[in-house]
Amino acid sequence: MAPTLYMLWPSPPARAVLMTAKSLNLDLDLKEVDTTKGENKTPEFIKINPQHTVPTLVDEDGFILWDSHAIMTYLVSKYSKDDSLYPKDLKKRALVDQRLHFDNGVAFALTLKILRPIIYHGVKKGVGQEEKDAIEEVYAFVEAFLEGRQWIAGDSVTVADYSLISTITTLNVLVKVDASKYSRVAAWLQRAETLPEYELNKKGLDLFVALLKSRLG
Amino acid sequence: MAPTLYMIAPSPAVRAVQITASAIGLELNLKELDFMKGEHMQPEYLKLNPQHTVPTLVDEDGFTLWDSHAINVYLVSKYAKNDNLYPKDLKKRALVDQRLHFDTGVAFARGLPIVGAILRAGKTSLEDSEKESINQVYGFLEAFLDGKQYMAGDSVTIADYSLFATITGSNALVAIDAQKYPRLTKWLKTIETRPEAEVNKKGLAIFENMIKSKLTS
Repeated sequence: MAPTLYMLWPSPPARAVLMTAKSLNLDLDLKEVDTTKGENKTPEFIKINPQHTVPTLVDEDGFILWDSHAIMTYLVSKYSKDDSLYPKDLKKRALVDQRLHFDNGVAFALTLKILRPIIYHGVKKGVGQEEKDAIEEVYAFVEAFLEGRQWIAGDSVTVADYSLISTITTLNVLVKVDASKYSRVAAWLQRAETLPEYELNKKGLDLFVALLKSRLG
Repeated sequence: MAPTLYMIAPSPAVRAVQITASAIGLELNLKELDFMKGEHMQPEYLKLNPQHTVPTLVDEDGFTLWDSHAINVYLVSKYAKNDNLYPKDLKKRALVDQRLHFDTGVAFARGLPIVGAILRAGKTSLEDSEKESINQVYGFLEAFLDGKQYMAGDSVTIADYSLFATITGSNALVAIDAQKYPRLTKWLKTIETRPEAEVNKKGLAIFENMIKSKLTS
């Protein structure tokens, strides 16, 4: 029996977990929860995850976990043949952890702040200048992180890449990454697209674009 | 030679690292930055941490790391005598990670822009929606504490330290209603009386004074 993932395709954190599972060759039983229709606020779902977020994992043995970053490191630790996606080496791991918290607290937090009123509340019809500046600042941080590195936390792919690929490709829909200003970010995104697991991000990203269009009219 | 911690005293993220260091009996060489003078934007500091946040750790061997959660995980893994504060058991660790990411992405992320507006943009009171968003954080934590004495189980972990540092700050913005959040209130008292939490007091008092001198209601 495969672990169950409660998810929503357009959601960046859900896409990050899907890329991780694909890379691990791990089958997940996907259960779609349409948060735009409040399916995450049902008593049954709140019993599983009182924070009512997606993705939420229910492992084969019933163990429940949410937050995409925690899910990814758990899946790698449990199901991976090696530690390359989440290195056991203390310093390498610390760098991955820092990037994961950057995704959560800065990059994704900004994405959510901008998109929530557009997608969920329908009260906003575009991205303001202050928000555009904040997105550019995220790109500049990622550009700095990539100095001297092929991937976000070193010279091989880690779960920090999956998190930031899903978030940055989403922000890229709102404010295009300017390759002349952020050449390392642009090159990293191109490298990401060549990963076999990227197709899962692409599928969700396309659905996100469609959802956004339906809201912006 | 002790590891160096670049910090400002009132920051919840800094206080979380100080509590952790105190719990594992680790001395830190504290270097206080003056944000008002823009010391965190100086080239020397940006070279250490391009994200120019505090805290930033520079370990004895020069290894540089930021984000309080990544720092706490690293310090416990490297310097603690046992794994109590960050269990090696996969499921226990996953739960701690989820709580750490909740602190990053929700509890701390919701407070930060409010505090920024109070300290830098002359905001003198909280909107109802802001109060509601902080109360929602308290509600989530109340749910997390269902059947548990501490945030991630029956013993104290670094998730308690991060959330304690954040929530004692949030409490200065929106006072915690003990009737509505009895488990959260009890947990705060439990952590407060622990010897390692002593180091939270000084920075918290500075934070409270900064906030209370600006808020008119």
